[in-house]
Amino acid sequence: MNWLKLISTLSLALLVTPVFLLLYEGFGPLRDPIGYSYEVVRAIELSLLSSAIAAAICITIFTPLAYYFARNKNSLGEALSDIPASIPHPIIGVAILVIVSPLTPFGRFLLSVGINFFNTFLGLITALTIVSAPIYINSMHPFFQSMNIAYENYALGLGASKFRTFMSVVVPNSGRGILTASLIAMSRAMSEFGSISIVAYYVLQQPFYGVSPAPVLIFQYYTYYGLGAAVTASAVMILVSIVIMILLRLVKRSTTL
Amino acid sequence: MIRQEWKGQLVMIEADVKKRLGDFSLDANVSDEHFICLTGKNGSGKTTLLNLITGILTPDDGYVTLNSRKITNLPIEQRQVSIVTPDSCLPHLDVDRHLIWGAKNKGLYVERDYIKEIKTGLGINFGGKVRKLSLGMRERVSLATSLVSKPQLILVDEAFSNIDNHRDFVDTFRDLAAKAKVDVIFTTQYPEDSTQADHHYRLDSGKSTRLF
Repeated sequence: MNWLKLISTLSLALLVTPVFLLLYEGFGPLRDPIGYSYEVVRAIELSLLSSAIAAAICITIFTPLAYYFARNKNSLGEALSDIPASIPHPIIGVAILVIVSPLTPFGRFLLSVGINFFNTFLGLITALTIVSAPIYINSMHPFFQSMNIAYENYALGLGASKFRTFMSVVVPNSGRGILTASLIAMSRAMSEFGSISIVAYYVLQQPFYGVSPAPVLIFQYYTYYGLGAAVTASAVMILVSIVIMILLRLVKRSTTL
Repeated sequence: MIRQEWKGQLVMIEADVKKRLGDFSLDANVSDEHFICLTGKNGSGKTTLLNLITGILTPDDGYVTLNSRKITNLPIEQRQVSIVTPDSCLPHLDVDRHLIWGAKNKGLYVERDYIKEIKTGLGINFGGKVRKLSLGMRERVSLATSLVSKPQLILVDEAFSNIDNHRDFVDTFRDLAAKAKVDVIFTTQYPEDSTQADHHYRLDSGKSTRLF
């Protein structure tokens, strides 16, 4: 075995050992029925749905931005778009709450028209969108950079506006890139804890009334019941994440074929 | 075979442009109409000149006019100039939708017989998604699409080179362009291709020379 393979194997083991240990303990010696109760299933449902919506919002809002960055050098804009990924995520949660705070005129206005982020599905999705957007943009950026610009110049030369070129040429030829980037963004959103533990510790709206997002619930279990329930719930969550990861691999594989 | 000639209003292309890109400097002048051949070695500035005419690049100095209309500072989509390179295509479309895509953008009505004439003339006797076609087939479709969209000028950057029997193809393309009153500037690395053109310019280290 050469030295590079040895180091690679060791570093990979370092990454996956805690995960496999958690799976083993969660479904084995430390198994606790609370960890796969109906409450956990609902929490995972909430996390999956809110993360999928956040990923869909990323596609809608941030695909044009990623394309813009790929075609126009804008170091300041790129640095600004990275801010949510580079600051502690509880700060994002606090910032979102400030937006709807009754202490500010803008917050009072939003509350007066019924827009509230605190412990709402809207707040949860907003937080997840903000924290996963930089991941989505940074995934799409190299994809657009590698896309042949000759397609766009050809379409423009055929009289298409820049908007039509983007919608009718760039987007239809970016399907796999968008799918890959959105799955990465969704995975990131599912693992978010810092911001949502402040904005949406639980959701007080139907159909998820009283349900906490899965990462928050795992934290609650750890503090209420101890390690056993938290480890089992974590193992269930890991299984769901693995399914998404397999999907991502399949998409990436089909992209390179 | 009778060579089709341009009739009616002439479209005069005038480009007198200067552009510096790193160590390379272009100082070129083209002032002609109809079917114009641009020859020169790799790196002589052919693509740079076409990019300046189409608006992909902006000249450091100089101007581009089309039929006395100054287009130097217009965005690509407003120039009425279509550029076709070996990579130019809309890969997600099938051949028939591709052919009318540009015309549809401009709100032009295209008669079926005209599409048929173009397809027959340019040897487009195949279908399917453009991304799955060979390079030569894609170039035929892209050149045909440009013709159908009726710009004032088509710039062909080496896109004739990968087509089988390209000299016959160039003759047919020239006739169809003449009939549509569309002028063409095409680049080639083969000086003998200039015999099919009405005018011939040679680029050498960024400097243009009109040969005829």
